[in-house]
Amino acid sequence: MKFKDHVKEGLLTKNPVTVQLLGMCSTLAITTSLFNGLGMGLAVTVILICSNVLISALRNFIPSQIRIAAYIVIIAGFVTIVDLILQAYLQELSESLGVFIPLIVVNCMILGRAEAFASKNGVLASALDGLCQGFGYTVALVVVCVIRELLGSGTFGGGILNNGEGIRIIPQGFPAMQMVMPVGGFLALGFVIAGSQWLMRKLEHRKKDKEAVR
Amino acid sequence: MKQESVVKYILRLALTLLLITGVVAAALAGINSITAPKILENQQAKIRAAIQTVLPEANISGEVAFTDATGLVKTVYGSDKGYAVEVAPVGFGGDITMLVGVSHEGKILGVAVVSQTETAGLGAIVAADSQAGQSFRDQFVGLSGTLAVEKDGGEIDSVTGATITSRAVTDGINAALSCVADLEKVG
Repeated sequence: MKFKDHVKEGLLTKNPVTVQLLGMCSTLAITTSLFNGLGMGLAVTVILICSNVLISALRNFIPSQIRIAAYIVIIAGFVTIVDLILQAYLQELSESLGVFIPLIVVNCMILGRAEAFASKNGVLASALDGLCQGFGYTVALVVVCVIRELLGSGTFGGGILNNGEGIRIIPQGFPAMQMVMPVGGFLALGFVIAGSQWLMRKLEHRKKDKEAVR
Repeated sequence: MKQESVVKYILRLALTLLLITGVVAAALAGINSITAPKILENQQAKIRAAIQTVLPEANISGEVAFTDATGLVKTVYGSDKGYAVEVAPVGFGGDITMLVGVSHEGKILGVAVVSQTETAGLGAIVAADSQAGQSFRDQFVGLSGTLAVEKDGGEIDSVTGATITSRAVTDGINAALSCVADLEKVG
């Protein structure tokens, strides 16, 4: 598979969030500010690449009967390492993501990639797959974050820009608080999934039209 | 392929898993030994900073022995201006560790949250440096007695959408106030 195909799969056609619907717990829970989305996306991407590489390297060593247990141990190890490092050196991010960092262990997306890709492919391809899937996850999170933060808190870039206050776009008092609550997560995610489906179909049509002309 | 005996088969699986678990555990132990001092240092720095916030320009004399019926009070630091009381009420998503500065007269001098695991964007606001978080914590300054959030008929404005967190913070502050009242009575 080519690099371009990997990127396209991760971003659109096999996006872990909008197509595979994996990792929903963190997607719904933490997407309330740009800072959270980027931080969570980066943490998951790093863990995904590491676990993909290690699992791919060990794929002939791990007996298939105990593979799930072995994968979970490896993933949990990486998650704990990232958690400890965040607590030690990036305290702010670690506090803002709270319990969702340890919960990456049970993010189906990482186990899913280990099972579906890393256990059957080489180390380099697995690293690339981890990078692209992680990138797709991050992009999806950031899109949901931007929507929820704008409508729910009325700001953009909360936690990063403007001393962490975010740039105010909608005046105080007007934003719909519900959007940063769980219900807003479901709403925003639904629209983002619909949007990505629409985009995919449009691209498909365009491809077909091109072929028809030929 | 040669048929493997059952015992060998089970041993092979168990030993492989044991090996993987062992290696992961060793790696974690290594990382932990590097990060643990740093994490502890971060926490202590946060507590020191929080004491500075709740008791500005005070000379901290050290920890004070205290009595507490609520079980929320963790540590009491004494000073010339009053006490910094570390309390840990249970919020929406776990303990909220915070420091409450209380004067010798039993008035609140300041509130600072050290650590919390509340919902990001809602309950977490009580700890945030943002304007909303600042004004939530500042409303306690100067108050005394027993406090309650508006929903419970009190005077404390809750953070919108985070009544449980606001109530927990208020509970913690009440515990700190009654603890200091007891200290002053004895002293």
